[in-house]
Amino acid sequence: MAIEITRPGKYSLIVSTPVMPAAGTLGFADSYKAMIDYEKLGALVTNPVTLDAWNPAAGTRMIPLDAGILLHTGLPNPGLSKVIRRYRKTWANMPIPVILHLVGATAQHIERASGLIDEVDEIAAVELGLSDDLDEADALALVRAAAKMEKPLLARLPFYECCQFALPIAEAGADALVLTAAPRGTARDRHSGRLVSGRIYGPLIKPMILRMVGRLRREIPEEIPIIGSGGIHSPADARDYIEAGAVAVQVDTATWAQPKMLERIARDLGGWIATRHKDALLDEWNPDMGHTEALQRRARTPSGDAGANQGGR
Amino acid sequence: MKESQAYIERIKRVNRDFQRLDLAVDQSLSHLLAGQALLARRIEKDYDAERWEPYLRDLWFPVDIHASNILTIELPAREQFAPGQLLSLIGPVGQPFRFRQKLRNILLITYHSPPTPLLLMLPYLLERQVSVTMVLMGSARQYGTDHLPSEVEIIVAEDNLTWNDMVMTLGWADQVFAAVGPGDELSHFADIMRLMRDRRNEVPVNYAFGVLQRPLPCGVGACHACMLNLRGSQKLQCLDGPAFDLTTLRLN
Repeated sequence: MAIEITRPGKYSLIVSTPVMPAAGTLGFADSYKAMIDYEKLGALVTNPVTLDAWNPAAGTRMIPLDAGILLHTGLPNPGLSKVIRRYRKTWANMPIPVILHLVGATAQHIERASGLIDEVDEIAAVELGLSDDLDEADALALVRAAAKMEKPLLARLPFYECCQFALPIAEAGADALVLTAAPRGTARDRHSGRLVSGRIYGPLIKPMILRMVGRLRREIPEEIPIIGSGGIHSPADARDYIEAGAVAVQVDTATWAQPKMLERIARDLGGWIATRHKDALLDEWNPDMGHTEALQRRARTPSGDAGANQGGR
Repeated sequence: MKESQAYIERIKRVNRDFQRLDLAVDQSLSHLLAGQALLARRIEKDYDAERWEPYLRDLWFPVDIHASNILTIELPAREQFAPGQLLSLIGPVGQPFRFRQKLRNILLITYHSPPTPLLLMLPYLLERQVSVTMVLMGSARQYGTDHLPSEVEIIVAEDNLTWNDMVMTLGWADQVFAAVGPGDELSHFADIMRLMRDRRNEVPVNYAFGVLQRPLPCGVGACHACMLNLRGSQKLQCLDGPAFDLTTLRLN
């Protein structure tokens, strides 16, 4: 199976399964090699990397919530040069493409990082993480700087400005849109008694981002792929994103709770997408998503958007 | 490290506030050493019946390992379990405690934390004729110790974190392990270091170790949420911990 998850062109990224980890969940390389068969994934998205080293956040970094967590790590990383030096060999031996998640405060940072990244063949693509603090002009400047790279560019949109930023960012040179970064929130740490801000993860995030995926799939040109990310905790969750118009999905913190779930979702969607794209024979279909169920789902879909998007691909 | 299944074989109340769970575990976990932990999650037989509350795995420090793959965990009695409950375990998480070769006397300090992370070392130390003293400080003073081996000397500290013969105890110990509760761990470690510095001329390297029990999101070194700033380096609690030399931890 071959799925193009960035827009067609000179630099496009093709994966074999439309499932990958979200940035920050699987580490920089093969931290989960004892528990996950990486070969079953579409790609590895690395932890966030910045041009210079970033230290971990001070104080409480994780607060359990009802069916979820609030996380504030500070995106610790040793800086781009060290990350490349440490993990390049491992990336070269990985059976899947590596997407480096790049974070930068200014266009100059991104341009300097781009120069380093372009020289690393082991990095198949770059996912640019756009902070919630950016206004549209700053976000576009970062995307334009990153788009100069000779690698496919995925832009991970901020949660709150997602619908507003999507089209301008695609026009500025992003080859795919990742919807979205986890929303931010504040919760009280019961141990220290302090309020802590961070990103919110959990199953409840999915309905919000799923709606954005459906809406943007209708609003932006079809040649710009959308990757759905947020709140995926089962194969059914992932299929919902595909039904809403995403070409692939990213699974985040569910992997920490149940490491095998990521692989299971990848196997499941791998089968289903093969059916959709290649007109596979019945016995090649994923057993969890049989012919009958597929037809029922299509029949259930109101004459609206999700079904139309599916059929359109 | 790997993910394996286990089930609760027996549950026993050991004091007013704590219960012990005997787990039938995978063979690979019966070689676990003091300091190493497990990331545990209750699971159902039907994989699709996954529930996400609680969301992440709990960090469990075994307190005893029996023959035939039975591992004992000590947990607050308010947490409800039933024999036969299936569990998914990821482990072993972390590195074993490193004891001095000629260890004769060891001081264990628990401060606002039950001594759970320190209990698995007791059979090993007592078998080697090491004298063990355990000091309970802060809310740890409420911990009932009747079920612990009688060879362990128990000291309950005063409100001001002192105890009788404190200078002698600290001078007598060849090594100190201190467990503090999650939350303000670093400030609690700083309190303990202050106690030791006030009563010793210096705290040497590889003498006092702080044992961290922060909840671990991934436990395999992927999320970096448990990263610590040490003097001259950064370490991960899940891969390099849970014990860190208190002279190298940046406690401010």
